[in-house]
Amino acid sequence: MQLKPAPSQLRRRLIAASCALLSTSAARSQETSAPGFVGRVLKDWQFESALAYYHEDGRIQAIEPVVNASHDYGDGGNVSLNFTFDALSGSSPNGALPSHAPQTFASPSAKSFASARHPFTTRPGNLPVDPSYSTARAAGGAEWTLPLTRLSRITLGGKLSIEDDFYSGTVNASFAHDFNDKNTTVTFGINDESDIIQPIGNTPVPLSNYAAFQKEGNKSKNGVGALLGLTQVMTRNWLTQLNVSVDRFSGYLNDPYKIASVLDAGGTTTGYIYENRPDTRTRKSVYFENRVGSEHASVDLSLRYMTDSWGIRSETAQVRTRWWTPDRQHYFEPTVRWYHQGSADFFMPWLPAVDQADTRYISADPRLANFHALTYGLKYGYELGNRLHRSSSEFTVRLEYYQQTLAINNRVPDGLQGLNLYPGLKAVLIQFGWSY
Amino acid sequence: MEERPGGLLAVKFTAMACPCEVLIHGSDPTRTMGLGVMAAQEAWRIEHKFSRYRDDSVVAWIHGHRGSKCTLDAETTALLDFARQCFEMSDGRFDITSGILRRAWKFDGSDRVPEVATVAALLPSIGFAKLQWDPPDLLLPEGMELDFGGIGKEYAVDCAYDILASYCNAPFLLNFGGDLRANCAPPQGPWRIGVERPDSDRTAAMLLDLESGALATSGDSHRFLMKDSVRYSHILDPRTGWPVVDAPRTVTVAASSCTEAGLLATLAMLQGAGARAFLEEQGARHWIL
Repeated sequence: MQLKPAPSQLRRRLIAASCALLSTSAARSQETSAPGFVGRVLKDWQFESALAYYHEDGRIQAIEPVVNASHDYGDGGNVSLNFTFDALSGSSPNGALPSHAPQTFASPSAKSFASARHPFTTRPGNLPVDPSYSTARAAGGAEWTLPLTRLSRITLGGKLSIEDDFYSGTVNASFAHDFNDKNTTVTFGINDESDIIQPIGNTPVPLSNYAAFQKEGNKSKNGVGALLGLTQVMTRNWLTQLNVSVDRFSGYLNDPYKIASVLDAGGTTTGYIYENRPDTRTRKSVYFENRVGSEHASVDLSLRYMTDSWGIRSETAQVRTRWWTPDRQHYFEPTVRWYHQGSADFFMPWLPAVDQADTRYISADPRLANFHALTYGLKYGYELGNRLHRSSSEFTVRLEYYQQTLAINNRVPDGLQGLNLYPGLKAVLIQFGWSY
Repeated sequence: MEERPGGLLAVKFTAMACPCEVLIHGSDPTRTMGLGVMAAQEAWRIEHKFSRYRDDSVVAWIHGHRGSKCTLDAETTALLDFARQCFEMSDGRFDITSGILRRAWKFDGSDRVPEVATVAALLPSIGFAKLQWDPPDLLLPEGMELDFGGIGKEYAVDCAYDILASYCNAPFLLNFGGDLRANCAPPQGPWRIGVERPDSDRTAAMLLDLESGALATSGDSHRFLMKDSVRYSHILDPRTGWPVVDAPRTVTVAASSCTEAGLLATLAMLQGAGARAFLEEQGARHWIL
């Protein structure tokens, strides 16, 4: 005997079926012909562009223009292209600790490529930062989605990123299948990344003395990853998503510009060594997101947990809400994000001189330390009144404030008392976006 | 075009054999007329494409290729697949292949109830499950017909709504022969919708308030047969070929899209005396007369 679906389920099925029907009609009506090639490109392609300015308090600043173009074929197929350019400049911590004495370093930064070593001196009590840090990155990517059947599709993509000292290429493929009248989507994806690292002034020999100038040739690393995702329409207004992913990187995983201070028992800096990290890293993460929306407001709550073979565990929680004005021309989108991570097993803010001979792995990079960070953001969006050619046009401004607090509990040697060893990080981001 | 109280302008036209109108809040007659024409063109396009009275419609083309495989365009595929889902979720009560029952039933207020055998002879040619439907390929068996009349008008309202919504932020209401959809309420308060009294005097039996969303009405005000004091409603159950017993005269349902509201109203009608209970179970706002 066939069981009849519960009535509320019938309504859900009807809503899903109506939405599927009407979304097809919306896609179809966007296909109607337009005269002229330029008109056709402008009408058939959706463009998103943004210009972001990022400023860290006393450190790096960056300008990043982004252009994204996408085109729907109307049959579920889609192609998207994106291009990003970053220009970073400013001061970057090199990993050494502040000291009561002035410290002098040689900078391997890109700007000083010709000389490869550009000395700078850090005043007593200040965090050593390379003041002439400067790099530029150009990146481009393409993604192509094509429907296989009415319910499944495959996406193929590639990315290329070029910096002064870093080249990265990624290919990815994913397969998605809809079930349950398109209320459930299961996605499986894999990706493969290959990187070449050509540090300015060559690659330092890991754990070597900073003053010894021991250098090696170029390095490479490779990463493979897989993702399994489940997206479920719970009700007409509620969408939930669960992703599980794993990736593994192997090869040269050090930051070639990061060093660690070597301290004697009294806390006096006796020298610096280049960091060394294990040459494999496996990460596993779980991501859970819920989106609930109504006509004038929506809430998006996401949680992420990550653990890796370096001993880092991190948790992220984010709440994002969006409020539209009654005419739906304007919206405000406040966001709060909380992030916490535990330190890597080999993270040490400094290396005690007595341990130097026995140390295999060490990094003093604060990005591997125990810290928590809070981000507050507010985005304002304005939908431009006259929406020609049926494509929506939107102007946005986004402001974000990021505050990172390091929580490093190593006992501070007497010689370093009174110094602010682990200044956190404050940064602001302002982004202007336009999509049409 | 007419001016209406409350700063509204109305554009009127006829489509799908129904009086249609577009009401827009605003004072710019040129813009209102432009939007009204867009809505009318969309209604006429859908009427033209899915009409069973025209020999150049997609429906006529499918009927002309009975017994052979037809590959349908994306829109027709989506509509037919929607009809399939409605057929499945209603356990066969909603069936776009049931139009041939019109050959037996003529709802003209008379007492000409067909012979049992006449109706029974049509049943083998009814049933969505008898179609060979492998989207976008359809094989319509000999003797069968498709009729999108049960969803076409509501679908047209939603399509016209999408077009208007992308051009117009001002409050507007689309009314295609009693199937309605509004984007938001005009400043002076919600849209007031009059639902006709089932008896044919054309006076509004009740006034409903609609802020946004859709309303659809299914009814048999003017289409029924009367014999031996039994009123045969024009709501036919495709599984038997006979009218649903004790169906309400008029069912009006509110939902977010007109397609959804229309289907809920039709499915409620097909429940006969159980219409009210059915709609209450669905959690849909409804009015039954």
